[in-house]
Amino acid sequence: MGTIDRYAYRSALRNVNAQEKFWFAILTMIICVAGRSVLVSGAVFLLNGYLTVAKGGLSLKKYGKLLTIPLVFLVLGTLTVWVNLGDTPMDAFALPLGNLYLTGSVDGIRQMAKLFCIVMASVSCLYFLSLNTPMTDIIFVLEKIHIPRLVIELMMLIYRFAFILFSTASSIMTAQQARLGNRNLAVSVRSFGKMGAGLFVKALKKSDALYISMESRLYEGRLRVLHKVCPAKKGRIAAVGVLELALILCTALEKGYLKL
Amino acid sequence: MSKKEIRFLKTVTAAAVLLAAAPVSNAMHIMEGYLPGGYCIAWGVVCLPFLITGFLSLKKRIQSNRKSLTLIAMSGAFIFVISSLKIPSLSGSCSHMTGTGLGAILFGPAAVSVLGIIVLIFQALLLAHGGVTTLGANTFSMAIAGPLVSFGVYRLCRRAKVNQKVGVFLAAFLGDIFTYCVTSVQLALAHPSENGGIAASAVKFLGVFAPTQLPLAVIEGLLTVIIVIGLSSYAGPELKAVGFDKGGKAHE
Repeated sequence: MGTIDRYAYRSALRNVNAQEKFWFAILTMIICVAGRSVLVSGAVFLLNGYLTVAKGGLSLKKYGKLLTIPLVFLVLGTLTVWVNLGDTPMDAFALPLGNLYLTGSVDGIRQMAKLFCIVMASVSCLYFLSLNTPMTDIIFVLEKIHIPRLVIELMMLIYRFAFILFSTASSIMTAQQARLGNRNLAVSVRSFGKMGAGLFVKALKKSDALYISMESRLYEGRLRVLHKVCPAKKGRIAAVGVLELALILCTALEKGYLKL
Repeated sequence: MSKKEIRFLKTVTAAAVLLAAAPVSNAMHIMEGYLPGGYCIAWGVVCLPFLITGFLSLKKRIQSNRKSLTLIAMSGAFIFVISSLKIPSLSGSCSHMTGTGLGAILFGPAAVSVLGIIVLIFQALLLAHGGVTTLGANTFSMAIAGPLVSFGVYRLCRRAKVNQKVGVFLAAFLGDIFTYCVTSVQLALAHPSENGGIAASAVKFLGVFAPTQLPLAVIEGLLTVIIVIGLSSYAGPELKAVGFDKGGKAHE
């Protein structure tokens, strides 16, 4: 579970101001999704790959492996949209099945190829953010954009607890595995359920202990955390601004809203 | 061919496509960038009233008892962890619980909407399941629609004095199925089929995901029952504090 988290803490771009990274990733993503331009998507995909691998120092192999996570859904989803069952064959291919055709159109291929590019580009934006920015920094940015304090505090606590509970769960599961707790489906379902119940009981106890320790450190309804401040650089902000404008301009040119 | 036969054929074809592309992991999160901009915003807006209601109810609970903050956060972390662990499955493919049914039964739909969106943000950023632009759509299907159905079904079963285990199973099972239907419709709305429009596309998506989602829903139902039984025997009083089963007896 902690793979992406670990990469983020190791990234060479970790100490770049989090707001810059956040807004770069989000704005670029919005331009890709809203603009739906293949050219811009390709450029964004390459740029994010370059930033994460060359600047962030993540190995190309690991980055490539992460990119395959969304691939299964993407291939499945795109094929589902493209392949149709109807009584008229379409132009790309048509397999007769009784008096119906399993069929797809050439225009469909074009649409799906476009969708594929847009998805990969926006996934690369998501990865740029999550592979180079530790979660605590992202939560700090969310605090800056005035997400309610309660949600921020819940996010901080959940992020911390998730890893504690995850390691508890893995040790329970290892113990079950060692005692043949997964020897067949019925037993493994029961084991997983019992692990879940045990985990929740442990979680309740831990939350009690945490509250006591917070109280003894003068908790009065507000979590105060010090953040490591990485100053924003004007040059970088300007560069991001210019880049986003260029992307918008390219999209507009490709869509024909602007003519040179 | 009758309509039924056509649907059957579609399902079989879909299963063939699916098996070619297995192992499918967590197919029910709509991935980053898959929905056009308008749909992203629309689903986000649809979620807002539910999220605000959930937020206000959580706020009230924490104001009346400060101690519930750590409890609620722990519950959120629990949902996150339980939905990120691989669960046993028939096909050997890698699948996960949605955790929505369990969450709705334990904490109520209002709390789950807020915890759900936080969990979905973490899943997108830490596990690359789902995404930021599709957060609205995913929140609606997994943190709002599914839990509401689960909670409704569970309440109904309790009211009708159905056996608690059966009630929990039905709640988790139907919540899962409903989540999967909502996601299919969301995908179909954004990507209608060329020769049959939105309805045909919805049938296609339902068919493609059925082979993984139906067994998964059964397993999720069973797991939820085992977890709830375990909890009510080990942690009855604590569960009341979370808001579980107000008034009702844990075991009958």
